[in-house]
Amino acid sequence: MADIDTIERVKEIEVDKYKYGFESDIESDLAPKGLSEDVIRFISDKKGEPEWMLEWRLDAYRRWRTMSEPTWAKVNYPKVDFDDLYYYSAPKSFKDGPQSLEDVDPELLATYEKLGISLKEQEVLAGVRRSDEPSKLESNGLDIPKGAVAVDAVFDSVSVVTTFKKELAKAGVIFCPISEALRDHPDLVKKYLGSVVPVSDNFYATLNSAVFSDGSFVYIPPGVRCPMELSTYFRINEKNTGQFERTLIIADKGSYVSYLEGCTAPMRDENQLHAAVVELVLLEDAEIKYSTVQNWYPGDAEGKGGIYNFVTKRADCRGDNSSVSWTQVETGSAVTWKYPSCILRGDNSSGEFYSIAVSNGYQQVDSGTKMIHLGKNTSSRIISKGISAGHSDNTYRGIVSAHRKATGARNFTQCDSLLIGDKCSAHTVPYIEAKTPTAQFEHEATTSKISDEQMFYCQARGINEEEAVALIVNGFARDVIQKLPMEFMAETQRLIGISLEGSVG
Amino acid sequence: MNRTPAEQTWDEFDTLPSGFADIRKTAADNFKSSGLPTRRVEEFKWTDLRRLIDQPYPPIIGKLHGDIDALIAVSPFAGIAKNRLVFINGLFDQARSKMPDDSNVTITTLSGKPDMDFSLKADDPLDNLNIAYASDGALIRISGKVKDPIELVYISSTKEPATVTTRNIIELDEGAEATILETCTGGKSAYVSNNATEIRLAKGARLDRVRLLDDGPLGIQLSNLIADLGENSKLADFTFIIGGRTVRNQGFATFTGQHAAVNISGAYMLKGKQHADTTLVIDHAVPSCESRELFKCVMDDTSRGVFQAKVIVARDAQKSDGQQTANALLLSDTAEFDAKPELEIYADDVLCGHGATSGDLDNNHLFYLMSRGIPESRARAMLIAAFASSSFEEISNEAVREKFNQIADGWLERQMEV
Repeated sequence: MADIDTIERVKEIEVDKYKYGFESDIESDLAPKGLSEDVIRFISDKKGEPEWMLEWRLDAYRRWRTMSEPTWAKVNYPKVDFDDLYYYSAPKSFKDGPQSLEDVDPELLATYEKLGISLKEQEVLAGVRRSDEPSKLESNGLDIPKGAVAVDAVFDSVSVVTTFKKELAKAGVIFCPISEALRDHPDLVKKYLGSVVPVSDNFYATLNSAVFSDGSFVYIPPGVRCPMELSTYFRINEKNTGQFERTLIIADKGSYVSYLEGCTAPMRDENQLHAAVVELVLLEDAEIKYSTVQNWYPGDAEGKGGIYNFVTKRADCRGDNSSVSWTQVETGSAVTWKYPSCILRGDNSSGEFYSIAVSNGYQQVDSGTKMIHLGKNTSSRIISKGISAGHSDNTYRGIVSAHRKATGARNFTQCDSLLIGDKCSAHTVPYIEAKTPTAQFEHEATTSKISDEQMFYCQARGINEEEAVALIVNGFARDVIQKLPMEFMAETQRLIGISLEGSVG
Repeated sequence: MNRTPAEQTWDEFDTLPSGFADIRKTAADNFKSSGLPTRRVEEFKWTDLRRLIDQPYPPIIGKLHGDIDALIAVSPFAGIAKNRLVFINGLFDQARSKMPDDSNVTITTLSGKPDMDFSLKADDPLDNLNIAYASDGALIRISGKVKDPIELVYISSTKEPATVTTRNIIELDEGAEATILETCTGGKSAYVSNNATEIRLAKGARLDRVRLLDDGPLGIQLSNLIADLGENSKLADFTFIIGGRTVRNQGFATFTGQHAAVNISGAYMLKGKQHADTTLVIDHAVPSCESRELFKCVMDDTSRGVFQAKVIVARDAQKSDGQQTANALLLSDTAEFDAKPELEIYADDVLCGHGATSGDLDNNHLFYLMSRGIPESRARAMLIAAFASSSFEEISNEAVREKFNQIADGWLERQMEV
């Protein structure tokens, strides 16, 4: 029954908007329901986009109308009625949400506490305020527990953002919302947008191209090593990028950037369907490290109402000697459909994919990667750790292919699945296509469960059952956890433990 | 979708032998609605039969053409098996066959027993096609321990392009044991050979089956294995694919009793424009069974090898043990290998894994041999043969292993006429 407990903890995020009186004033900035060319014109107009951008969106929309939803993934969910969605609404007013942390479900706060999240951050996560608004903590005199204070004192998002922007500007790095980039750097956006994930790449990417709300734009000039790790979490207004996020990162010759997306805490979100597109462009000798932690609402105890996360992420290693690394920790969402890919076009380029996908309850994860070797002496490495518990389905689906000209291509793939309980399932669907003899491909996969010996060993040393599971699973996923940036590493270990609460016993 | 010329000739054909009319009709209707699978059908992603079967192949029955005895001589099992069943162009040839003299073996041919109890795999287009047009085949029933291997030879030798269809049932009673050796070969003209075998193993039965697929240079081999494994039974199936223009080798094994074991292994040695595809589905429907697949694939010239295997472990099939391995050796810049070793697991106490590798010959190995005075061409031949023959370890009959080693060793010199 502890299973339910975990779900309860995150339940409120989606449901509380009703509990706290969701009687919104009629918003004036709401596009009509459904999707039509007019709605797209409305979105583009609201954002003050240039004419070519509108055309680009309309083109995507017309193509999308001719496409049908993919059905090949091993996921099962009620069909989304695309004509019953709002594709644009002005930033939601926070009046609807909880007014202070006191109004937030204590269970949710307990989860935050376990994750070691500061109170001011908790406000943002629970939807009490926006990240750019001042904290309400000082005014309401909420008792701040000791120990959290030190973190709080230095952690004021607004000031962080300010210092942050100054330093980035000094290095010449552009980091802003994509709508702003369209205004200030239209040439860069025009040149690269849609060049990695083409407009009609797949059903969801095409939909995203037509209606994307906002997202991050990053440009790292030649030879620049980005002085800090960039994170969506710090960007002003990040909270309201909506369901169709679009990210474009360009690493020019010899540059380096590490980008963090998402956060470990459960996120309050009103949108059920998420169809984001992330494009990474790497020129010669560039390097991008992209880390994601996704912990959206997974649905209730019966698996109803969770987020559908249909994401298209792709990196294009255009320049020689470029390298890209995707690291992902997927613990949230009811349905995940996500395949961060690497096109290894430049000679000697390399791609890496490290993934931990934890599914519990009725979650369904169909995730993996594509490594497309086109250039000479390209190399790739895939380490995927799938952990399924409860009634969940966890699928690794990936492709490794070497083109005829990709001489000397090298791949190593390891997909391990861990099953906890006898109601869950784990699947592995790897595709291997070798068109050149000099490509060396190795693939291995295993499926196993936590052995009784391992549990006995831990429990004999006084570690309780749940802690033992968390410990063993963290050990199982260690190869991937170690690839995470420092900020995420400790949190992820705790997150895995929390995600699996109630999966034994 | 429009009917292809090949599909049309099948649709029009109606002079089949009598018997099992109902199941034939169901199968023919199923095939009419599905048609030949294209690469849009996931299981045929890398083997687009609609494109590969690109001309009419009207079904034929019997009709001898060419030097049949020379084709029978292709069989490497002649000295190993004392008896032999020969099927020529889909019809049992009594004169060229020698029936086994063992009271534990009962053989009936389809033409002699038109009420054979076939089970149709209705979701598989090739099985539908097989049942719809099967003209002959053998029902082999083994009731005790049979020592002498039984040989089956299938010859497709036609003047014009044609489809030849056979279907067998091999049934082993409780505790029975047998070895079946099969050779599929054919003449120089284009043909489609559709050959299916149903294997039913009762409690504790053990069957060893070894096949050499050495079809003619324009031959298309569609081969299907549908196995049902009872408690404690064991099936060891080995397929050595060396001939044919296109080979689609399918295997479906289902465990129906606990503690059973299946081993489906094989080797490809392909050159020219050959295309060979092995697609396996192992269904661990009950607990405590073991499955093994090992394939060694050698591809030269512009040939293409495909290996797809799916291990399904059902919800309650605890203690299942499944391992799949596919290793590919690519010898030319234009050869290709595609693999999809798939796991679909619904039980937690299982041990399942797979491995797949692809690469070329190791220069260090070549150097080692050459530095000992072995000419390069010979050294290459040795290494290639060694790679393929490592799979022959799965075959328990030593004489068969020896024959296969010889074939592998001489493969590099073998000429492909395509």
